[in-house]
Amino acid sequence: MLEVAIVGCGKIADAHAAQIGRIAGCEIVGVCDREPLMARQLAERFPVRRCYADLAELLDRARPDVVHVTTPPASHFEIARACLEAGCHVYVEKPLALDAGQTRALLALASENGRTLTVGHDDQFSHAARRLRALVRDGALGGPVVHMESVYGYDLAESGYARALLADKTHWVRRLPGGLLQNVISHGIARIAEFLTGDAPAVIVHGFTSPRLRALGETAIVDEVRVILGEDDGPTAYFTFSSTMRPSLHELRLYGPRGGLLLDQDRETVTRLPGTRRTSYLEMFVSPLDVARQQVGNVLTNARTFLGRDFHMKAGMKTLIEAFYRSIVDGAPPPIPYREILLTARIMDVVFDQLRARRPAEVIDDRR
Amino acid sequence: MTVDTTLVGRDDPILITGASGFIGSRLLATLVDHGFRNLRVMVRPSSDVARLEAAARHRALGTRIEVVTGNLLSRDDCAAAAAGVALVFHLAAARGEKSVPDAFMNSVVTTRNLLDACLAHAALRRFVNVSSFSVYTNRGKTRGRVLDESSPVETRPELRGDAYCFAKVKQDELVVDYGRRFGVPWVMVRPGYVYGPGKTAITGRVGLGSFGLFLHLGGANPIPFTYVDNCAEAILLAGLTPGVEGEVFNVVDDDLPSSRRFLRLYKANVRRFASVYLPHPVSFGLSWMWEAYARWSHGQLPPVYNRRTWHAYWKKTRYSNAHAKRRLGWAPTVPMAEGLQRYFVGCREATRHA
Repeated sequence: MLEVAIVGCGKIADAHAAQIGRIAGCEIVGVCDREPLMARQLAERFPVRRCYADLAELLDRARPDVVHVTTPPASHFEIARACLEAGCHVYVEKPLALDAGQTRALLALASENGRTLTVGHDDQFSHAARRLRALVRDGALGGPVVHMESVYGYDLAESGYARALLADKTHWVRRLPGGLLQNVISHGIARIAEFLTGDAPAVIVHGFTSPRLRALGETAIVDEVRVILGEDDGPTAYFTFSSTMRPSLHELRLYGPRGGLLLDQDRETVTRLPGTRRTSYLEMFVSPLDVARQQVGNVLTNARTFLGRDFHMKAGMKTLIEAFYRSIVDGAPPPIPYREILLTARIMDVVFDQLRARRPAEVIDDRR
Repeated sequence: MTVDTTLVGRDDPILITGASGFIGSRLLATLVDHGFRNLRVMVRPSSDVARLEAAARHRALGTRIEVVTGNLLSRDDCAAAAAGVALVFHLAAARGEKSVPDAFMNSVVTTRNLLDACLAHAALRRFVNVSSFSVYTNRGKTRGRVLDESSPVETRPELRGDAYCFAKVKQDELVVDYGRRFGVPWVMVRPGYVYGPGKTAITGRVGLGSFGLFLHLGGANPIPFTYVDNCAEAILLAGLTPGVEGEVFNVVDDDLPSSRRFLRLYKANVRRFASVYLPHPVSFGLSWMWEAYARWSHGQLPPVYNRRTWHAYWKKTRYSNAHAKRRLGWAPTVPMAEGLQRYFVGCREATRHA
């Protein structure tokens, strides 16, 4: 029986507690929050042995095998380090740490102590994301990835969190080195990192505050980012983060030498993009029918998963946690390779560095 | 009630949290109307202060309204707001948060911080905690179909599937606990559904809009409406009436319309839409089925509507305001017919500007 603890009892901790509860062979032996009331409310709603207000006390008394760190990102590094030093395996919500340096240090510490570390990129373990991975493995692209497009939409207008962020100039999200972006873009970047082959892609970043935010008097938050990534002998990628683009997409497109794949995270669908086209009018009739056939297939797959009682909102998180626990118990490789975790952090560092140093874009004038 | 007989004088400092909200702004205006001159309001940085400004517009010369911009999650902000106050009207609470931790943090942790700040200043004579009807389980009532202050509160609010209910139950428990442990002189006000111009939604006690169709669930049930001005007056009296510490007051107006009558009036006065009545046994059966399905599927579709929700919102219930009338001397000043007319006018204007 794996003994599990959760540190940080906010909104995302609910998802962790619920998904851990669906996994056999584990038990939540403690939850911890600096605010004792928050720890208690989680313990009242989920089967939890005891709640704590002090991390050292949790580690000392509950002696968990695994700790899930679900605090705001600024505290991830210190908490994860303390847990690893106490001999725990650690699952840290995204982003793993504030920069690549901290990420590297945690990965090294985990390796030195013989412990496993993972990060909450659970979108990569959704049903659709796993279908996409299987198709790539089975050769659906016809070779290595040539190019990727990862789009991550974020609706600032709709959420109460965003309202609070915009109104509060001292909000903790603003104090992150990468600001709002640090808290949200790692899902979209990690998707790209998974398929990059090298460890040092070239990165070009363009970012700005959207006209909508500027109209509200906001100039410090960057909510529109376009990134180009490239490797000399490997794939290239575009990453788009947008708060204004509609529809607000969460998509990954992979293009290979013989065909492509489209993952739509919100609809949990995967579509093959054919690499050849018919040289006749049939292209206009048969190809749309093929897309329709694939979408019907997606509907049936989703329906099967739903009827099989495995279509929960956080199904990806459950799969990731299960894979993480399996890696601990059976010694299997960690669910997210450390190389990918570090590469994601390094790309994010470059994005933030370039945004900090940003200057007005050079405008092409008539004389050129 | 004259100032001579009230718990606090016109110049004693009074704090209102949530003063920019629907009820809070009316309470502020009511306090101003009653001649209270030393008012402090606490609002979040993200609050829309338009209502606040409207409420303060008619204040008499010499009335001081101090606006403290802050967050009740900050103990420092609470200390600044609570300094020297004799009376606290605590209306700020989580609204609309769907996650339990968010609702809990913005209702319970905030209330704890405010209570601690009040205790530190030791000037507090009354802490009016504004709660909600949503805390009542509406099962096993001592008086059958009548819901009053003696009715039991949810003992397992986590099973209601409603973050607001969970947070409010826990907030009430905290206030009572502070009363017992530290002698905080609390009074609890539990309004029914507060309505009036500025609110446009149809309460879920009447029914729910889904897939373009309105499911009418209330049927012949009376809907526990209280007009916002009437509610503000009751809260004010709960703060000023001496000798009611440790008491709970339910606030509903007289002449409550049935759900069916309200829906008919709404359609006639605001807009027409299609609705289908689900008889109570059917809505109860569907709630049970959803609950059973959620259990079988390990929470694949969390039971947002379950038997506890059904008991709380759709079971045939009558409501009593006798306690508030008897102990506070409260009576609704805006009659139901007039209140509904004002509400419908507000809804029509909002629909036109949408």
